[in-house]
Amino acid sequence: MFSKDNKLERFKDAETIIGASIKVKGNFQGQGNIIIEGALEGSLKTASDVFIGNQSKIVANIESKGAVINGEVRGNIKTKGYLIIGGTAQIFGDIQYGEISVDKGASINGQLIMLSEEHKRNEKVKEDTESSSEK
Amino acid sequence: MHVYVYDDYLNKNKFNRIINRVEIRLTDLGLNGKILRLAGIKNIKAAIQNEIRLGAKTIVAVGNNQTVNKIIGAIIDDNIYGDFQKKTLLGIIPIGEDNSIAASFGINNPEDACNILLARRVEKIDLGLAGNHYFLNEASIQSLGTTLEIGGYSVEATARGEIKIINLLKDKNENIKSNPHDGLLDILIRTRKKDRTYLSAKSLKISNQHEKLIVDGVMEINTPVEIGILKDHVNIIVGKERRFE
Repeated sequence: MFSKDNKLERFKDAETIIGASIKVKGNFQGQGNIIIEGALEGSLKTASDVFIGNQSKIVANIESKGAVINGEVRGNIKTKGYLIIGGTAQIFGDIQYGEISVDKGASINGQLIMLSEEHKRNEKVKEDTESSSEK
Repeated sequence: MHVYVYDDYLNKNKFNRIINRVEIRLTDLGLNGKILRLAGIKNIKAAIQNEIRLGAKTIVAVGNNQTVNKIIGAIIDDNIYGDFQKKTLLGIIPIGEDNSIAASFGINNPEDACNILLARRVEKIDLGLAGNHYFLNEASIQSLGTTLEIGGYSVEATARGEIKIINLLKDKNENIKSNPHDGLLDILIRTRKKDRTYLSAKSLKISNQHEKLIVDGVMEINTPVEIGILKDHVNIIVGKERRFE
Protein backbone atom coordinates (compact mmCIF):
# COMPACT_ATOMS: atom_id res chain seq x y z
CA MET A 1 0.00 0.00 0.00
CA PHE A 2 1.23 3.53 -0.65
CA SER A 3 -0.07 6.81 0.62
CA LYS A 4 -0.57 9.98 -1.35
CA ASP A 5 2.39 11.65 0.34
CA ASN A 6 4.96 9.04 -0.64
CA LYS A 7 3.55 8.10 -4.04
CA LEU A 8 6.83 8.75 -5.87
CA GLU A 9 9.07 7.33 -3.14
CA ARG A 10 7.64 3.92 -3.78
CA PHE A 11 8.68 3.98 -7.43
CA LYS A 12 12.38 4.66 -6.85
CA ASP A 13 13.16 1.00 -7.46
CA ALA A 14 10.86 0.66 -10.46
CA GLU A 15 11.58 -2.39 -12.59
CA THR A 16 10.54 -0.53 -15.74
CA ILE A 17 10.59 3.14 -16.69
CA ILE A 18 9.12 4.39 -19.97
CA GLY A 19 10.39 7.92 -20.67
CA ALA A 20 8.42 10.81 -22.17
CA SER A 21 9.91 10.34 -25.69
CA ILE A 22 8.97 6.68 -25.90
CA LYS A 23 6.00 4.96 -27.54
CA VAL A 24 5.13 1.41 -26.52
CA LYS A 25 2.71 -0.70 -28.56
CA GLY A 26 1.40 -4.12 -27.57
CA ASN A 27 0.80 -6.10 -24.43
CA PHE A 28 3.14 -4.78 -21.80
CA GLN A 29 3.49 -7.02 -18.75
CA GLY A 30 5.73 -7.00 -15.71
CA GLN A 31 6.10 -8.18 -12.15
CA GLY A 32 7.61 -5.07 -10.57
CA ASN A 33 6.65 -1.41 -10.37
CA ILE A 34 6.24 0.39 -13.70
CA ILE A 35 6.57 4.13 -14.38
CA ILE A 36 5.15 5.47 -17.63
CA GLU A 37 5.82 9.04 -18.71
CA GLY A 38 5.42 8.39 -22.45
CA ALA A 39 2.77 6.78 -24.66
CA LEU A 40 1.38 3.25 -24.54
CA GLU A 41 -1.11 1.52 -26.81
CA GLY A 42 -2.35 -2.00 -26.07
CA SER A 43 -2.56 -3.32 -22.52
CA LEU A 44 -0.62 -2.84 -19.31
CA LYS A 45 -0.49 -5.43 -16.56
CA THR A 46 1.73 -5.85 -13.51
CA ALA A 47 1.61 -7.68 -10.18
CA SER A 48 2.88 -4.48 -8.52
CA ASP A 49 2.15 -0.77 -8.90
CA VAL A 50 1.88 1.55 -11.89
CA PHE A 51 2.69 5.28 -12.01
CA ILE A 52 1.31 7.21 -14.97
CA GLY A 53 2.98 10.64 -15.38
CA ASN A 54 1.08 13.81 -16.26
CA GLN A 55 2.42 13.98 -19.87
CA SER A 56 1.65 10.36 -20.67
CA LYS A 57 -1.04 9.15 -23.06
CA ILE A 58 -2.28 5.63 -22.50
CA VAL A 59 -4.71 3.86 -24.82
CA ALA A 60 -4.91 0.58 -22.95
CA ASN A 61 -6.61 -1.35 -20.20
CA ILE A 62 -4.53 -1.21 -17.03
CA GLU A 63 -4.46 -3.97 -14.42
CA SER A 64 -2.22 -3.70 -11.37
CA LYS A 65 -2.04 -4.00 -7.63
CA GLY A 66 -2.03 -0.24 -7.08
CA ALA A 67 -1.78 2.81 -9.34
CA VAL A 68 -1.15 6.53 -9.44
CA ILE A 69 -2.73 8.17 -12.48
CA ASN A 70 -1.71 11.71 -13.47
CA GLY A 71 -2.01 11.54 -17.28
CA GLU A 72 -4.53 10.61 -19.95
CA VAL A 73 -5.89 7.06 -19.93
CA ARG A 74 -8.31 5.75 -22.56
CA GLY A 75 -9.23 2.31 -21.31
CA ASN A 76 -10.43 0.52 -18.21
CA ILE A 77 -8.42 0.53 -14.99
CA LYS A 78 -8.49 -2.26 -12.44
CA THR A 79 -6.49 -2.03 -9.22
CA LYS A 80 -7.00 -4.48 -6.39
CA GLY A 81 -5.38 -2.10 -3.94
CA TYR A 82 -5.09 1.68 -3.71
CA LEU A 83 -5.79 3.92 -6.70
CA ILE A 84 -4.70 7.57 -6.64
CA ILE A 85 -6.11 9.83 -9.31
CA GLY A 86 -4.16 13.07 -9.52
CA GLY A 87 -5.54 16.51 -10.43
CA THR A 88 -4.13 16.34 -13.98
CA ALA A 89 -5.61 12.90 -14.77
CA GLN A 90 -8.07 12.43 -17.63
CA ILE A 91 -9.66 9.02 -17.66
CA PHE A 92 -12.00 7.69 -20.35
CA GLY A 93 -13.06 4.25 -19.16
CA ASP A 94 -14.41 2.30 -16.22
CA ILE A 95 -12.45 2.05 -13.00
CA GLN A 96 -12.43 -0.86 -10.57
CA TYR A 97 -10.57 -0.28 -7.33
CA GLY A 98 -9.99 -1.53 -3.81
CA GLU A 99 -9.50 1.95 -2.32
CA ILE A 100 -9.45 5.31 -4.09
CA SER A 101 -8.55 8.97 -3.75
CA VAL A 102 -9.35 11.59 -6.39
CA ASP A 103 -7.70 15.02 -6.50
CA LYS A 104 -9.50 18.20 -7.48
CA GLY A 105 -9.27 18.82 -11.23
CA ALA A 106 -9.28 15.15 -12.27
CA SER A 107 -11.60 14.20 -15.11
CA ILE A 108 -13.28 10.79 -15.09
CA ASN A 109 -15.59 9.64 -17.87
CA GLY A 110 -16.70 6.18 -16.84
CA GLN A 111 -18.04 4.12 -13.99
CA LEU A 112 -16.37 3.85 -10.62
CA ILE A 113 -16.77 0.36 -9.21
CA MET A 114 -15.43 -0.59 -5.82
CA LEU A 115 -14.26 -4.18 -5.68
CA SER A 116 -16.12 -6.07 -2.97
CA GLU A 117 -14.27 -7.76 -0.13
CA GLU A 118 -15.42 -11.08 -1.55
CA HIS A 119 -14.00 -10.20 -4.97
CA LYS A 120 -10.69 -9.20 -3.39
CA ARG A 121 -10.60 -12.49 -1.46
CA ASN A 122 -11.34 -14.46 -4.65
CA GLU A 123 -8.58 -12.60 -6.48
CA LYS A 124 -6.18 -13.37 -3.64
CA VAL A 125 -7.05 -17.09 -3.71
CA LYS A 126 -6.63 -17.08 -7.53
CA GLU A 127 -3.22 -15.43 -7.20
CA ASP A 128 -2.08 -17.85 -4.49
CA THR A 129 -3.20 -20.82 -6.60
CA GLU A 130 -1.37 -19.47 -9.64
CA SER A 131 1.82 -18.82 -7.71
CA SER A 132 1.80 -22.27 -6.03
CA SER A 133 1.16 -24.01 -9.38
CA GLU A 134 4.09 -22.06 -10.89
CA LYS A 135 6.36 -23.40 -8.12
CA MET B 1 49.40 -23.13 -19.24
CA HIS B 2 48.86 -19.43 -19.93
CA VAL B 3 48.67 -18.16 -23.49
CA TYR B 4 49.10 -14.41 -23.92
CA VAL B 5 47.42 -13.08 -27.07
CA TYR B 6 49.06 -9.79 -28.11
CA ASP B 7 46.94 -7.62 -30.39
CA ASP B 8 48.62 -6.35 -33.54
CA TYR B 9 48.56 -2.67 -32.54
CA LEU B 10 51.00 -3.48 -29.72
CA ASN B 11 53.76 -3.71 -32.36
CA LYS B 12 54.03 0.08 -32.24
CA ASN B 13 57.19 1.33 -30.54
CA LYS B 14 55.26 3.40 -28.02
CA PHE B 15 54.04 0.20 -26.34
CA ASN B 16 57.50 -1.43 -26.04
CA ARG B 17 58.17 -0.07 -22.60
CA ILE B 18 54.88 -1.14 -21.06
CA ILE B 19 55.07 -4.56 -22.72
CA ASN B 20 58.55 -5.06 -21.25
CA ARG B 21 57.30 -4.08 -17.80
CA VAL B 22 54.36 -6.49 -18.05
CA GLU B 23 56.58 -9.37 -19.20
CA ILE B 24 59.04 -8.81 -16.34
CA ARG B 25 56.19 -8.68 -13.83
CA LEU B 26 54.62 -11.88 -15.21
CA THR B 27 57.97 -13.66 -14.98
CA ASP B 28 58.43 -12.44 -11.40
CA LEU B 29 55.00 -13.83 -10.51
CA GLY B 30 55.73 -17.14 -12.23
CA LEU B 31 52.96 -16.54 -14.74
CA ASN B 32 54.99 -16.62 -17.91
CA GLY B 33 53.59 -18.59 -20.81
CA LYS B 34 53.32 -18.74 -24.53
CA ILE B 35 52.93 -15.51 -26.51
CA LEU B 36 50.68 -15.47 -29.56
CA ARG B 37 51.04 -12.30 -31.65
CA LEU B 38 47.96 -11.55 -33.76
CA ALA B 39 49.99 -9.45 -36.22
CA GLY B 40 50.47 -11.65 -39.24
CA ILE B 41 47.92 -14.29 -38.23
CA LYS B 42 45.17 -14.55 -40.85
CA ASN B 43 42.80 -16.91 -39.05
CA ILE B 44 42.81 -15.64 -35.48
CA LYS B 45 39.94 -17.89 -34.39
CA ALA B 46 41.70 -21.03 -35.59
CA ALA B 47 44.99 -19.99 -33.97
CA ILE B 48 43.37 -19.42 -30.56
CA GLN B 49 41.29 -22.60 -30.77
CA ASN B 50 44.45 -24.52 -31.58
CA GLU B 51 46.06 -23.22 -28.37
CA ILE B 52 43.02 -24.39 -26.37
CA ARG B 53 43.28 -27.83 -27.97
CA LEU B 54 46.95 -27.93 -27.05
CA GLY B 55 45.99 -27.47 -23.39
CA ALA B 56 45.86 -23.73 -22.69
CA LYS B 57 43.93 -23.29 -19.43
CA THR B 58 44.00 -19.50 -19.49
CA ILE B 59 43.90 -17.27 -22.53
CA VAL B 60 44.96 -13.73 -21.70
CA ALA B 61 43.93 -10.87 -23.98
CA VAL B 62 46.76 -8.34 -24.04
CA GLY B 63 45.27 -5.27 -25.69
CA ASN B 64 41.82 -3.63 -25.61
CA ASN B 65 38.08 -4.34 -26.05
CA GLN B 66 38.65 -5.47 -29.61
CA THR B 67 41.26 -8.00 -28.48
CA VAL B 68 38.85 -9.41 -25.90
CA ASN B 69 36.12 -9.72 -28.52
CA LYS B 70 38.42 -11.52 -30.94
CA ILE B 71 39.26 -14.05 -28.24
CA ILE B 72 35.65 -14.45 -27.06
CA GLY B 73 34.69 -15.19 -30.67
CA ALA B 74 37.27 -17.98 -30.70
CA ILE B 75 36.59 -19.44 -27.24
CA ILE B 76 32.81 -19.39 -27.56
CA ASP B 77 32.23 -20.91 -30.94
CA ASP B 78 28.79 -22.51 -31.10
CA ASN B 79 29.93 -25.18 -33.54
CA ILE B 80 32.65 -26.59 -31.34
CA TYR B 81 31.88 -25.16 -27.87
CA GLY B 82 32.80 -28.18 -25.79
CA ASP B 83 33.93 -29.00 -22.29
CA PHE B 84 37.49 -27.95 -22.90
CA GLN B 85 36.33 -24.49 -23.95
CA LYS B 86 33.89 -24.13 -21.04
CA LYS B 87 36.81 -24.67 -18.68
CA THR B 88 39.08 -22.17 -20.40
CA LEU B 89 39.56 -18.99 -18.38
CA LEU B 90 39.83 -15.58 -19.97
CA GLY B 91 42.19 -13.02 -18.49
CA ILE B 92 42.77 -9.44 -19.63
CA ILE B 93 45.83 -7.18 -19.56
CA PRO B 94 44.57 -3.78 -20.74
CA ILE B 95 47.01 -1.68 -22.74
CA GLY B 96 46.18 1.58 -24.48
CA GLU B 97 42.72 3.07 -25.17
CA ASP B 98 39.23 1.44 -25.33
CA ASN B 99 39.47 -0.78 -22.31
CA SER B 100 35.98 -0.47 -20.85
CA ILE B 101 35.56 -4.27 -20.63
CA ALA B 102 38.66 -4.62 -18.45
CA ALA B 103 37.52 -1.66 -16.32
CA SER B 104 34.12 -3.35 -15.76
CA PHE B 105 36.00 -6.35 -14.37
CA GLY B 106 38.02 -4.13 -12.04
CA ILE B 107 41.19 -4.40 -14.12
CA ASN B 108 42.37 -0.83 -14.38
CA ASN B 109 46.00 -0.99 -15.53
CA PRO B 110 48.57 -3.51 -16.81
CA GLU B 111 50.38 -3.89 -13.45
CA ASP B 112 47.13 -4.60 -11.56
CA ALA B 113 46.17 -7.02 -14.31
CA CYS B 114 49.25 -9.18 -13.56
CA ASN B 115 48.36 -9.35 -9.85
CA ILE B 116 44.73 -10.15 -10.72
CA LEU B 117 45.90 -13.04 -12.93
CA LEU B 118 47.87 -14.39 -9.98
CA ALA B 119 44.92 -14.07 -7.57
CA ARG B 120 42.78 -16.01 -10.09
CA ARG B 121 39.38 -14.81 -8.88
CA VAL B 122 36.98 -16.37 -11.40
CA GLU B 123 33.43 -15.25 -12.26
CA LYS B 124 31.05 -16.85 -14.73
CA ILE B 125 29.63 -14.06 -16.84
CA ASP B 126 26.63 -13.83 -19.18
CA LEU B 127 27.49 -13.15 -22.78
CA GLY B 128 25.42 -10.94 -25.07
CA LEU B 129 24.81 -12.15 -28.60
CA ALA B 130 23.89 -9.74 -31.42
CA GLY B 131 23.34 -11.80 -34.56
CA ASN B 132 26.51 -13.88 -34.70
CA HIS B 133 28.59 -11.45 -32.67
CA TYR B 134 29.25 -11.83 -28.96
CA PHE B 135 29.53 -8.87 -26.62
CA LEU B 136 30.45 -8.43 -22.99
CA ASN B 137 29.64 -4.77 -22.30
CA GLU B 138 26.90 -3.42 -24.54
CA ALA B 139 25.44 -2.88 -27.97
CA SER B 140 24.30 0.65 -28.85
CA ILE B 141 22.36 2.44 -31.59
CA GLN B 142 20.86 5.86 -32.32
CA SER B 143 17.38 6.01 -30.78
CA LEU B 144 15.42 7.91 -33.46
CA GLY B 145 14.09 5.52 -36.08
CA THR B 146 14.91 2.43 -34.03
CA THR B 147 12.27 -0.12 -33.10
CA LEU B 148 12.76 -2.70 -30.36
CA GLU B 149 10.49 -5.74 -30.45
CA ILE B 150 10.38 -7.41 -27.05
CA GLY B 151 7.99 -10.32 -26.55
CA GLY B 152 4.47 -9.04 -27.16
CA TYR B 153 5.25 -5.35 -27.49
CA SER B 154 7.38 -2.86 -29.39
CA VAL B 155 9.24 0.24 -28.21
CA GLU B 156 10.04 3.30 -30.34
CA ALA B 157 11.77 6.57 -29.44
CA THR B 158 10.45 9.85 -30.83
CA ALA B 159 13.60 11.86 -30.11
CA ARG B 160 17.30 11.64 -30.91
CA GLY B 161 19.49 9.93 -28.38
CA GLU B 162 21.04 6.57 -27.71
CA ILE B 163 19.76 3.09 -26.99
CA LYS B 164 22.09 0.80 -25.04
CA ILE B 165 21.56 -2.92 -24.65
CA ILE B 166 23.69 -3.70 -21.62
CA ASN B 167 25.08 -7.01 -20.41
CA LEU B 168 27.92 -5.74 -18.24
CA LEU B 169 27.85 -2.12 -17.10
CA LYS B 170 30.54 -0.01 -18.76
CA ASP B 171 29.83 3.35 -17.18
CA LYS B 172 29.53 3.21 -13.40
CA ASN B 173 27.68 6.56 -13.44
CA GLU B 174 24.69 5.11 -15.33
CA ASN B 175 22.84 4.50 -12.04
CA ILE B 176 21.19 1.23 -13.05
CA LYS B 177 21.36 -2.17 -11.40
CA SER B 178 22.97 -4.21 -14.14
CA ASN B 179 23.90 -7.76 -13.26
CA PRO B 180 25.93 -9.92 -15.68
CA HIS B 181 24.73 -13.11 -13.90
CA ASP B 182 20.95 -12.63 -14.17
CA GLY B 183 20.44 -13.88 -17.72
CA LEU B 184 18.83 -10.55 -18.63
CA LEU B 185 19.79 -7.68 -20.90
CA ASP B 186 19.23 -4.18 -19.53
CA ILE B 187 17.85 -1.72 -22.05
CA LEU B 188 18.63 1.93 -21.39
CA ILE B 189 17.35 4.74 -23.62
CA ARG B 190 18.46 8.33 -23.11
CA THR B 191 17.22 11.06 -25.42
CA ARG B 192 18.16 14.67 -25.93
CA LYS B 193 14.90 15.59 -24.23
CA LYS B 194 16.63 14.41 -21.03
CA ASP B 195 14.26 11.55 -20.40
CA ARG B 196 15.34 8.08 -19.44
CA THR B 197 13.82 4.71 -20.20
CA TYR B 198 14.82 1.49 -18.53
CA LEU B 199 13.63 -2.04 -19.30
CA SER B 200 15.01 -5.55 -19.12
CA ALA B 201 14.53 -8.51 -21.44
CA LYS B 202 15.94 -11.93 -22.25
CA SER B 203 15.88 -11.26 -25.96
CA LEU B 204 14.76 -8.64 -28.45
CA LYS B 205 14.85 -7.72 -32.09
CA ILE B 206 16.28 -4.35 -33.02
CA SER B 207 15.76 -2.57 -36.33
CA ASN B 208 16.69 0.77 -37.86
CA GLN B 209 16.79 1.38 -41.62
CA HIS B 210 19.54 3.98 -41.47
CA GLU B 211 21.72 3.33 -38.45
CA LYS B 212 23.94 0.40 -37.52
CA LEU B 213 24.22 -1.33 -34.18
CA ILE B 214 27.63 -0.86 -32.54
CA VAL B 215 28.80 -3.79 -30.45
CA ASP B 216 31.21 -3.15 -27.56
CA GLY B 217 32.11 0.15 -29.24
CA VAL B 218 34.13 -1.54 -31.99
CA MET B 219 31.99 -3.53 -34.39
CA GLU B 220 29.15 -2.28 -36.62
CA ILE B 221 26.25 -4.61 -37.41
CA ASN B 222 23.40 -4.07 -39.87
CA THR B 223 19.84 -4.32 -38.55
CA PRO B 224 17.33 -5.93 -38.15
CA VAL B 225 19.18 -8.17 -35.76
CA GLU B 226 18.16 -10.48 -32.92
CA ILE B 227 19.86 -9.86 -29.59
CA GLY B 228 19.97 -12.47 -26.88
CA ILE B 229 21.95 -13.57 -23.87
CA LEU B 230 23.88 -16.73 -22.99
CA LYS B 231 23.75 -17.19 -19.24
CA ASP B 232 27.03 -17.76 -17.35
CA HIS B 233 28.78 -18.61 -20.58
CA VAL B 234 32.32 -17.40 -20.08
CA ASN B 235 34.78 -17.75 -17.19
CA ILE B 236 36.66 -14.54 -16.58
CA ILE B 237 39.44 -13.69 -14.13
CA VAL B 238 38.26 -10.51 -12.42
CA GLY B 239 39.59 -7.97 -9.95
CA LYS B 240 38.24 -7.05 -6.52
CA GLU B 241 36.99 -3.72 -7.84
CA ARG B 242 34.65 -5.21 -10.45
CA ARG B 243 31.46 -3.25 -11.12
CA PHE B 244 29.00 -5.98 -10.23
CA GLU B 245 28.13 -8.34 -7.37
